Amino acid sequence: MDLFLHYLSMPYLLDGVGYTLLITVLGLAGGLVMGVVLAAMQLSRFRALSVVARGYSIIFRGTPLILQMVFCYNALPLIGIKLSAIAAAGLALALNEAPFIAEILRSNVLGVERGQVSAGQALGMTPAAIMRRVIAPQAIRSMVPALGNEAVSALKNSSLASVVAVQELTLRSTQLASATFDFFSVFFASGLIYLVLTGAIAVIQIVVETLLDLDRPPPREQFRRALRVLRPGRPASAPDAADKTADGPLEEISADPLPPASPKSALARPDRDARARRLAGNNVAVEVKELRKSYGRQTVLDGIELDVRAGEVVALLGPSGSGKSTLLRCINRLEGWEDGTIRVGGRFLGNDEGGRALSPRATAQMRASVGVGMVFQQFNLFGHLTARENIAGPLRWVQGLSRLDADRRAQELLERVGLAHRADALPRHLSGGQQQRVAIARAVAPGPSVLLLDEPTSALDPELVGEVLEVIRRLAIEDGLAMVISTHQLRFAGEVADRIVFLAGGSIVEEGPAERMLTQPRHPLTARFLSTMTAE
Amino acid sequence: MALKLDTYSGGRRSSAAAHIRSALLGALGLAVAAGGMTAGLPQKAEAAAPEACAALQAKYPALKGKTLVNAINPHTPGYETIDPKDPTNYIGFDIDLGEAIGECLGFKLTYKPVTFASLLTTLQAGQADIVISDIYATKDRAKAADFITYLKVFDGVLVAKGNPKGISGINSSLCGTVAAENTGYVEVPLIQALEAECKAAGKPAPEIQLYDNNANCIQAILAGRADTYINDVNTVDGAVKAYPDKLEKATAVTLPYSVGIAVPRNNLAFRDAVMAALVEIQKSGLQAELMKKWNLPAEQLETPKLVLAD
Repeated sequence: MDLFLHYLSMPYLLDGVGYTLLITVLGLAGGLVMGVVLAAMQLSRFRALSVVARGYSIIFRGTPLILQMVFCYNALPLIGIKLSAIAAAGLALALNEAPFIAEILRSNVLGVERGQVSAGQALGMTPAAIMRRVIAPQAIRSMVPALGNEAVSALKNSSLASVVAVQELTLRSTQLASATFDFFSVFFASGLIYLVLTGAIAVIQIVVETLLDLDRPPPREQFRRALRVLRPGRPASAPDAADKTADGPLEEISADPLPPASPKSALARPDRDARARRLAGNNVAVEVKELRKSYGRQTVLDGIELDVRAGEVVALLGPSGSGKSTLLRCINRLEGWEDGTIRVGGRFLGNDEGGRALSPRATAQMRASVGVGMVFQQFNLFGHLTARENIAGPLRWVQGLSRLDADRRAQELLERVGLAHRADALPRHLSGGQQQRVAIARAVAPGPSVLLLDEPTSALDPELVGEVLEVIRRLAIEDGLAMVISTHQLRFAGEVADRIVFLAGGSIVEEGPAERMLTQPRHPLTARFLSTMTAE
Repeated sequence: MALKLDTYSGGRRSSAAAHIRSALLGALGLAVAAGGMTAGLPQKAEAAAPEACAALQAKYPALKGKTLVNAINPHTPGYETIDPKDPTNYIGFDIDLGEAIGECLGFKLTYKPVTFASLLTTLQAGQADIVISDIYATKDRAKAADFITYLKVFDGVLVAKGNPKGISGINSSLCGTVAAENTGYVEVPLIQALEAECKAAGKPAPEIQLYDNNANCIQAILAGRADTYINDVNTVDGAVKAYPDKLEKATAVTLPYSVGIAVPRNNLAFRDAVMAALVEIQKSGLQAELMKKWNLPAEQLETPKLVLAD
């Protein structure tokens, strides 16, 4: 025991810890830099880059670190690069860590819901802005545990630097054991030192996780929770869960009514014929010509022709798989197509004048300048941002508004959708209906000329459908922006839409004024669809 | 850093490589500055004949004032280990001998601790300038480095107390036993060569466990994993002294080798300088004195000769 304590406090071994930490830091920092590059290469849309990155990963993940150490130390001098032992070991550890860290980065980037990326694109955010504002903040939060693991493993792996004569803890321990024959005392002492080091990493990990926790309660509450965790026998998560339900969506449902409707929208049904005549004189907002698209052999859109005039509300009806969502996603160029053209506000979205495809970045900028907003079935709010930030953020990043202006606009829109009191709530603490209302507010915030709504109520519980439809109905009447809505809500379509377009099998089967379509369908497919829908 | 003597410090390194190198070295300078963790301060050894050494320093001026790197496997008590009282120092006969050579030629030594198997690769990679680490000069090894011999080889056969397997040397008594050895030791092929003899006698061949330092080999016997460890007799004696109740030396054997100093193959000036200094050190009686200090039998002393590749 005395010997054990003697070795535990021996400056010789403690100095060795310095080298161990140095190699670990070099390895992790280098690995992180290279890992970011590798992950970016693998996620890139250029195939050659991802092939190179994958090749690197196969080699450096597939060979033992000890060989890489020896290689960096003894083989690199043959080509004129003579690194010091510490540099060689740090380099080898970095080369080895890079593919592992790259995989952590890549899987966490891919783990962010694709819908949020679509939403960012639809808002006109460039790929770089989406990465920085949407993906990175969420991916970084979720990758902390895996990076903590990686740090611990790098620390332990640094012991292999002993093979290239770095005076780190393991090498010093073995030398000491050889010189003194105190095999066990020495190794128990160095084992304990390693345990303290890895324990410190675990503590750092916990602290970072807590700091990044979006649900982080105020410091006082945190302290109480920490005490609860430390006291055994009481599950720490139970009060947590209770908090959430109390604060959760259930009791909120009736607590956030929409503000009273403006006189304009409260008016009785306007004269449909007069409105139709007025709309007919408006400019064409969306023009779809001969649009064809297929996934592999399956044709999804088969020669779609559609004009939507400024201020017109068009409802897309049709069975699942009829191509409604795909058509909407094509209109703002979230998807490409094989044949045909789409013009929004007179411009080809995603193509230059000569018809060549633009880069994702240029497409994003065009989307913002043309002004196409989109509302998704799954809301696709940015999970790490509050309701207010979901609206204000894109206004700052894309439209370049000041923080003050963006916040003011967000507040105004939240009031309009009746959620001003939930401005600081995270999406996951909102009900589906509330989330969709925020999403609608976000889509109209930049003042688009066309709003695309992709089954905006399909993912909602029945009792939440009404509030969302009411928001859309008011937008249609008050804002006068062109809307294309795919929906299964017949009554709503009849009430809000000027025109109904019925799709089946990727083609427009029938279209016409909303009322006529619902009451006197001419095509048998439309009739059958309407009767099944009303039967439900 | 290792000294680059003129014959092998070529100008073929690209400036890009030099750039990378200096960048990395810069990062590490910081570490060294932060640590105060330098290894192996030189130990004082008595000087060899001053006039002869002065003549050698005049003849080989490139070495004077330099600091060379000596790659060692510091797990061999008596030859080279860290000093348990001051672990930043290395001690042992080889260390003293190296310091004496350095003193005679006017250079200082720092130490690079590596596994036994990487002693010569470290030298070849230019990460060390010289290897003085109880390494036997064989023709095979001479393909990697030039050797200047300084000791005869006596091996001891370390066994558990009472020699339960009745091992009597590198002979058929090893059949069916387990020998612990270090990777790269000359004893390994000698033991492996017994296979035919054992087979002829209808016995199983000896099994060899490979470790990378003496301590592990000794632990293998203490833990009952191995029956014997055959290595330099002084190392074996040291182990018996450390564990008198558990270990004993069954016997001593002579091997047809000598212990040698390894130097790079392409640097004749350096090799000649080291050899000349060693001759002076033996002439002045300093080597015998150092052998006495470290309890090496006097008859082990050998007049320097070169062992080179064919």
